[in-house]
Amino acid sequence: MTGKTTGYVSIMLVTAILGVMLAVQFRVVNRVQAGVSTDRAKEIVDELNQIDLEKESLHHEISDLNDKLAQVNQGQSEAVKALESELEKVRLSAGLVAATGPGVEVVLDNPEGGKGNGVFIIYAEDLLKVVNELLGSGAEAISINGQRITDTTEIRMAGSFININTKRVMPPFQILAIGDPDALANALELPGGVGDYLRSMGIVITVKKHQELTVPAFVGN
Amino acid sequence: MKFKTIHLILLFMGLVLGFILSTQFRLHSEIAASYPPAQERTAALLQELEEDRQSRDELQHEVSVLRNRLDQAAAGPELAKMRTELDQVRQLAGMTNMEGPGVQLTLNDNPNALPQGMDPNNFVLHDEDVLSVLNELKAAGATAIAINEQRVISTTEVRCIGPTILLNKNQRLSPPFVIFALGEPDTLTNAMKMKGGVIDSLLNWGIQVDIKKVEKVKIPAYSGALTYNYAKPK
Repeated sequence: MTGKTTGYVSIMLVTAILGVMLAVQFRVVNRVQAGVSTDRAKEIVDELNQIDLEKESLHHEISDLNDKLAQVNQGQSEAVKALESELEKVRLSAGLVAATGPGVEVVLDNPEGGKGNGVFIIYAEDLLKVVNELLGSGAEAISINGQRITDTTEIRMAGSFININTKRVMPPFQILAIGDPDALANALELPGGVGDYLRSMGIVITVKKHQELTVPAFVGN
Repeated sequence: MKFKTIHLILLFMGLVLGFILSTQFRLHSEIAASYPPAQERTAALLQELEEDRQSRDELQHEVSVLRNRLDQAAAGPELAKMRTELDQVRQLAGMTNMEGPGVQLTLNDNPNALPQGMDPNNFVLHDEDVLSVLNELKAAGATAIAINEQRVISTTEVRCIGPTILLNKNQRLSPPFVIFALGEPDTLTNAMKMKGGVIDSLLNWGIQVDIKKVEKVKIPAYSGALTYNYAKPK
């Protein structure tokens, strides 16, 4: 074995080790980047907050139901009162009674003169989006042009018209939503939110807060 | 002279190796110092989430028990009438279990690799897709709907959070989304499968949609709280 060969072998060995180290280093760096996901932590915190809100509501409801149960046992007239109050609440949810309270009035209208080619008009999907956004921000009761939104309400194109609760509705669309006026208005006016999107489609949209408005009851067929 | 060159090279290599080793070591200890706490935080949050979900479910159960007890407690002819009405209204509000003929619809993200250069956003399910499926089912006459065991009621919203959706403010669902709808199975299926309809447009994006008629679908009651902080009956 000459000195030259020994030299080459050592260099080869050293290079091989270097390669392995590089590979390990690369893997470690990759793992570090993927490791700390602030996004995930944020998502979990968001969900935690939502669940805590719901738990608070559930606690409210439990004490409310316990009160009513106690009331039921205090004689006939008290029992009637308790059941009536529970009925009112469920009727609100089913949309069987008109609801009043603070909220927002959202008006959507086609652009004046109409750009006419069918792109820049209000679609059923647009109304669905607005309603969904309002519900997501805590709206408790909603109507569009007098049609109460219930659990089975559809908002749907039928030909070139929009049907809600199988009734034809025409623009301008007046959406009334009861809930925290600030929260509801902010949700729609968020930069890059639904309001911006609709405006970019040429739709005229106005959002007005009200201290009191009335959402009509669902009218059956 | 030759002998010296080799030694120089080896010395140089040794230095480089030593440098890399020390860097590696430092990096490792830095990671050891910073990585676990961040992970621990996520782990702790996840555990809290799990506990929170559990206590929420317990509260929901308690509420449904109390609602039942209230519905049962009333006796006497006048109260009996109210009880019947309460039953009916609860049914309309989505607060009772429902059973009957209907359809089962399953939605899932595109399982295939993306065509090159395409926006992945177009190929995953969005809240709007779920929203339009629900809307179409309602339009076709569905009387009760549930997604992944969560009942759809009048105030149900659908929101995207990453690849999952948030329903009824606090229920997080992940795909596949299994939707059960109560209603005339043929009508519902035809409406969904209509040419140019919802399923058509979802299939366009490679989203997996499967609908089948079911003789008996079971739709759970809404189990959340019913609180009105702003709305009052008029």
